[in-house]
This record gives sequence, structure tokens and C-alpha cells, in this order.
Amino acid sequence: MISKKDFRKISDYLWEIPKTFRADMRVPARVYVSEKMLEESFKDRSLEQLVNVASLPGIQKYALAMPDMHEGYASCIGGVAAIRISDGIISPGTQGYDINCGMKLLKSEYSKTEIEPYLDRLATEIQKEVPSGLGQGKQIKFSVKQIDRILEGGIPELIEQGYGEKEDVENCESRGKMDWADASVVSEHAKDRGRDQVGTLGSGNHFMELQKVEKIFDEKTAEIFGLFKDQVVVMIHCGSRGLGHQVCTDYLREFIPLMEGKYKIRVPDREFACVPFNSPEGQRYFGAMASSANYAWANRQMIAYFIRKAWKSVLGEKSFPLAVLYDIAHNIIKKEKYVVDGKEIEVAVHRKGATRSFPPGSPEIPEKYRQVGQPVLIPGSMGTASYILVGTKEGETSFFSTCHGAGRTMSRHAAMRKISGPEVVRQLEAKKIIVKCRSLRGIAEEAPLAYKNIDDVVEVVHQAGLSKKVARLIPLAVIKGE
Amino acid sequence: MKKFELLEHRADLKIKVKGSSKEELFLNALLGMEEGLRPETKETKEEIKREIRIKSIDLPALLIDFLSEVLYLIQVNKETYHNIEFKKFADTEVEAELLGQKVERFGEDIKAVTYHQLDVHQRKDGTWEATVLFDV
Repeated sequence: MISKKDFRKISDYLWEIPKTFRADMRVPARVYVSEKMLEESFKDRSLEQLVNVASLPGIQKYALAMPDMHEGYASCIGGVAAIRISDGIISPGTQGYDINCGMKLLKSEYSKTEIEPYLDRLATEIQKEVPSGLGQGKQIKFSVKQIDRILEGGIPELIEQGYGEKEDVENCESRGKMDWADASVVSEHAKDRGRDQVGTLGSGNHFMELQKVEKIFDEKTAEIFGLFKDQVVVMIHCGSRGLGHQVCTDYLREFIPLMEGKYKIRVPDREFACVPFNSPEGQRYFGAMASSANYAWANRQMIAYFIRKAWKSVLGEKSFPLAVLYDIAHNIIKKEKYVVDGKEIEVAVHRKGATRSFPPGSPEIPEKYRQVGQPVLIPGSMGTASYILVGTKEGETSFFSTCHGAGRTMSRHAAMRKISGPEVVRQLEAKKIIVKCRSLRGIAEEAPLAYKNIDDVVEVVHQAGLSKKVARLIPLAVIKGE
Repeated sequence: MKKFELLEHRADLKIKVKGSSKEELFLNALLGMEEGLRPETKETKEEIKREIRIKSIDLPALLIDFLSEVLYLIQVNKETYHNIEFKKFADTEVEAELLGQKVERFGEDIKAVTYHQLDVHQRKDGTWEATVLFDV
């Protein structure tokens, strides 16, 4: 068992388990938390899972955990591993089943006062337009050929088909499309699962929220991001749905025998399922992962299309349209370059429940944001605040990664034992938050008491310098699909 | 003997499954997974049959790969299965027919069946037990 005595305090917000803690560690494990949060983290197996990550072949500098970390499978959620491409591995289990689960934020030109009279109708209409994908709801069914085009074409492909604005491409990580995507390495099973799920929300912690900008911390950056106090925005949280889950499942199944047999890689948990990054199998997975990421971007783009449709049907054709602030993944593997031991090397950054947070000047971010840094979108738990942060130069120490949300502290069952669905709705309504959700059980499972306090989580990444606070958003209406 | 029970897990769905034989263990694991999906079945008496064939490196992997394949069939066809007719069953291979019915909708999504902390073992009394974690 890991305890506080195994840690070395680096700063008030950074703690380290040295490499000497366990013989198979190749690098130290570092956790961005306050002292109080560190004590909490001993309650589950997330730290042990982080130490396991530190043993992966090719890992550079540190295995990292963000303040919203919690126990996952293989690596912990909230984990970051930068693995050298030349001699390291690629591990689907270190990125998660929901490939490119992420966030998209749409900005309006309206204040809360202007939208208030339409709020309930907007929430109802958005719920009607965006299916969860779990029922027989109205869904678009694509042919396998069309799915192939989405897998290789991402958001630009959907824009060409009329599902959005040209600017939406620019306002997205990797411009909504990773070029090395290859639809031929995605299984028929995965494509089958994906055919009727473009533009579907899923379940669990996936949601849409109408929010208002409650507080601005950084006026200059907010202005560049096009944010103002009391502005109404729409937040979307979802991923690659069944297609991405199937891709990860397929490759885990293929990689476990390869890892144990052909490549003889020893890992503490089969779920890591890794092969050398540069092996033919590793390259195939990288292509399939990129295809799933493109699918996820297309999924969020289609949801944005449905939301814009609902927006116009309630506020009128002549209303100000919704513009995309940014779209960013928090479960993904990306090739990036960093200086390690005085030499620039290429690494595969595995982010699982962690958000990329590029600094000012990065050529990878839209030109209009380059002066201040990349927008980072951090959702809170249902009914609590969310944040918009901005990337910093200091973030290099965490491979330009930051947190991704509040992070669970309680199991779904424990949440249901503590609070009922109707009680959660009553509490949200007492805060004047509209709730649209088909399942009251789903509401109880996602109750705010099952999560860490988002303000505490964001304070850590802000104080540690991984990303800085720009705006705090509070919910006006929560929508959970169908 | 209880077929399966849901265990505590902070973020995901963990179940403990029991069976008097390996075949029953596989069936009960399938039923446990389906409970996690909270299906609303359609009012129809029509029985659906689906063929399934899986090969894996060992028994624990076979259980996971079998459940993953069933999850695929459930989600693509919007069906659930209440029985399995095994045609072939070995530690690394299973061939079977699934018997089931159409589903109106699912109350919950299961993203995947994981190999994480997977445990499949035979107890002293000859019965089988497994612990499986699902990503939800």
C-alpha cells in the first residue's frame, strides 16, 4: 500500500513517488494535488495504477496524475504518460475506451437576461434534437462507406456535407481531423456500432449544458476568446461512442497475446495491452485510434449542428448564431516533441482523463488564440461550475497537460444510496437549474456529491501553473439526451 | 447460489459472477452485464437466435472476449439474450447460439468489458467464480 511517507513534497501542489519506490519503475510518479487531496487519494487504487504507468517501456521524465485523478483500469483516470516513440510502446489501455472523449463549447452573443424567457424551451428543444443513442430515437444512419469518409475526414468532411461552419474546423484541436487516420484498420464491428451514432450523446457523465459566464478571471484572454460576463454558452461532453469503444476492445484483444508472446513486454496489468509504437501492429492501432478520434470530433460537430437547429427554432432564424470557442479531447494519444535531457525527442503523449493545454505561441492552436494560449474546457459535475482555462508556458513540465473535470469520489451505487434522483432534481431546481433527463436513476448516479469539488481541482492546476483560470461558468439547464 | 452480484467500484461497474460449471459462469456473466445495461424489452414473443464463435489465449481472456462479442451483438441489434446453447466449450474456444429478444431501449451504456483485475477461478467445492470490470 502507498502512504504519505512514500512521497516527496516538491511544492504545495506537486508530490512525487521516487523511482526507488518499486523496482520496475523507470521514472518517478508525480501527482498534482493539494495536501488534503493527497490524503483523499489513498482511498482508492489510483496511486498504485500511476506507479504501474511509471513502469511502461519508453516512458519519459515522470508518470503524471492530475488533481481529478481516480481509479480506472490499467492506468488511473487523470493520467499522463509521454512515451518515446523510437523505443517505447503504444498502449490503448493508457488512453481509455472512449477514444477522444472530450469537450466542445459554443458561444452565444446573448446575456442570461436575454435568454431567460426562452431557457426552458431551448432545453426542451435541444433534448428533442440530440438523441442519446440508447433507444430507438431519431438517428441518422450512415452507410459503411459514409462512415469511412467520416473516419478519415473528421469535422472537415461533415462541414463539406453542410453540418456546420468553416470556422468550426479551425476552432478544434488538430482542426478536427488527424491525417494518419486509416479507415481500413477499423473493424467492421466498430463501423457497425458507429453507423447510427454520429450526433448521439451516450449516457453516464456525458451531457449538454446551457451555462452562463459567472466570473471572468483574465479580462484580456476572455476578450480574445470572445467571452463576456453573463454570456450564455453551451457545453457538450461526449466521445466516440460505440465505434471508439469497439476499436479499443478489438486492439486490446489483439495486443494481449502479442505483448505476452511476440514482444515479451512485461506489464503489471494485462489491460495495458501494449506493443512497440513503431511495430506494424502499433502503427495500425495509431491509425485506428486517429480514425476514432476523427469520428468523435464529427460526433460533437453533429451534436453542435442539432443544437444550432434547436437554437434557431426557438430564437428565430434571425437570431445571432452560436460560434465554437474550441473543441478538445481528454482521452487521446498524440505525437508531440519535447526536450528531454537536453535533446528534442518525439513522444506519444497518452492522455487519459487529461486535457492538452498548449502555451501561447504554439503553432498547433488557432492563430487568433496564439497570443494567449489554447482554450482548455473543464466540465464540473452536474449542477456545479465549469471552467475555461488557458494553456501556459510553465505547462511544459506536465507535457502541456492539465485536468479534465471534477473526478469521481464515490461509486454510482454509493451515490444512489446517499441521494435519490428526485432529491437531486429538487436540489438543482432550488438553484434554479432546469434538468432534462429521461432517467432519474442516471441523475442520482451523477449527483454532485459523487464528485470532487471542481473549484479545488482547478485551483491546483492554476496554482501549479499547468493552465490558468479565464472564466467560471455556472449551469442554467442540464440536458442528458432524448 | 446467487448468479451474480454488483460490487462497489468508484467509477465503473464491477460484478462477481458464480456458476456450477464454466458454461453457467459464462451465462451468468452475460446476465450480469445485461442487468448493467438496464434494458427495456419489447412486448414480443419472437425469439431471436445469434451464432457466436470466439477463440482466445486462455480462459480469463475467453470470458472477456466472449462478453465483448455479446456486447457488440446487443448494441448493434438492440437485443438481449437470456440463454446460451453451447456447441463447443474449451478453455480457449467457445461456439454457441444465443437466444434472446428485441429491446426498446437501454437505460445505461456499457462502453467495454475490461481485462482489469480480472479473476476467474474454480472454488474448492467445484463451482466457478469470476470478477469482471466494465467501463461504463
